[in-house]
Amino acid sequence: MSAIDDLAGELAKLPGIGRKTALRLTYHLLKQPPERSRKLAHALEVLRDRVHPCGVCGNLTEDPECAICRDPRRDRTVICTVEEAADIGAIERAGEFRGLYHVLGGRISPLDGVGPEHLTVRELEARVSAGGVSEVIVATNPSVEGEATALYLQQSLVRLGVRVSRIARGLPVGGDLEYADGGTIAQALSARREMI
Amino acid sequence: MTLHVTDAIVLHAFDYLETSRIFRLATRESGVVSVLARGARKSVKRFGSSLDLFVTGTAEIQQRPGRDLQTLSGFDLTYARSALAADLDRFVAASMLCELALRCTAGEAHAETFDALTNGLDGLTRVSGREAQVFGAQAAWQLVDSLGFAPSLDRCASCHRVLDRGDDALFSHRTGGAVCRDCEGVARGGRRLPAAARSAILGWLAGAESPMPDAGTLRSHARLLREFVEHHVSEGTELRAYTAWAARFERT
Ligand SMILES: [Zn+2]
Ligand SMILES: [Zn+2]
Repeated sequence: MSAIDDLAGELAKLPGIGRKTALRLTYHLLKQPPERSRKLAHALEVLRDRVHPCGVCGNLTEDPECAICRDPRRDRTVICTVEEAADIGAIERAGEFRGLYHVLGGRISPLDGVGPEHLTVRELEARVSAGGVSEVIVATNPSVEGEATALYLQQSLVRLGVRVSRIARGLPVGGDLEYADGGTIAQALSARREMI
Repeated sequence: MTLHVTDAIVLHAFDYLETSRIFRLATRESGVVSVLARGARKSVKRFGSSLDLFVTGTAEIQQRPGRDLQTLSGFDLTYARSALAADLDRFVAASMLCELALRCTAGEAHAETFDALTNGLDGLTRVSGREAQVFGAQAAWQLVDSLGFAPSLDRCASCHRVLDRGDDALFSHRTGGAVCRDCEGVARGGRRLPAAARSAILGWLAGAESPMPDAGTLRSHARLLREFVEHHVSEGTELRAYTAWAARFERT
């Protein structure tokens, strides 16, 4: 396989990039100074070496703890639980939430073989058990699987004596949190309800 | 390209690329169909706000012959079943039923399977906890029946002699159901099926209200059903939701 096919093949595996676009990007890089390609290759390498989940919340970071967990101004009594690290960015853009996060790493999906044991539920329970947390907001996606996951979390966490709330249904059902606009997320957070 | 409009139930959904989703639908006319819903993660404009697992609706499918993945151009929701997420036993049993419908693709009896699945999912919205586990077993046998795999239970699967209702019998997956004593030697392998369990499955297949079995009975039902289903799905097919469903009995 030629070097051109090689790179185009790799690019075409990225979301939203078809075979044609992959080839166009490859030829574009070849027309640029060699330095441009080297920088890109270096950035890709550094990305995988440096970025990893935060040891506390699972957010993506280059440090042992992410910037949100380290920020002394954040409210440590509230933890907002999300399915994926990408959801944190969406909630941060809304600017409403000042607490900490917890990334579950997915949602319960029996059809995909994902059970509670595959998510970071034990880690969340440990954070709550360590004390100082008064509320856990469950911000899983407004889907059947997201709701079932929220129910599981609620049942696991109330035993620990913490208040568990669910973001309100201002979010479009069937849509992903990651793509919701800031206003919708802010509204859903402020109208969250306790899970009983 | 032809436009196909059909009643459909969403069996499975997964993300595709940045903004789209692939759905696997049970359709009344064409059995299980995989469709791509472009932009479904990002916008609810085209597919409404409730295109999700377990829903029933009218699907508009742009069909290209010879393709495995068709295009979903519209979805008009008729029934959402969001109550299935309000109890974990319901949720796991509903997932198990959808998995059976996905994996055990049989002949042409799509309408029967569609109706059995509808009844199963609807029934699950009305029960919870242990009742949902038992109802799941009943609905699973009815689904299997609709696919044309129903086991022979009141007659010997080998020689077709009528079996006494009060007798235990050997259940042989290979032979296709319960076998009489004379045929036990012919039917290699199998599991001893107590008379009560046999009549419970017969009752379930007939749609009768079932008495609540104890945890041990429920576990052996789950094992029997699993062996039976595994015999009818292609080799190497993982039954993940089924495993999750059966695992819940171990805790009760
Ligand atoms: Zn963190
Ligand atoms: Zn016989």
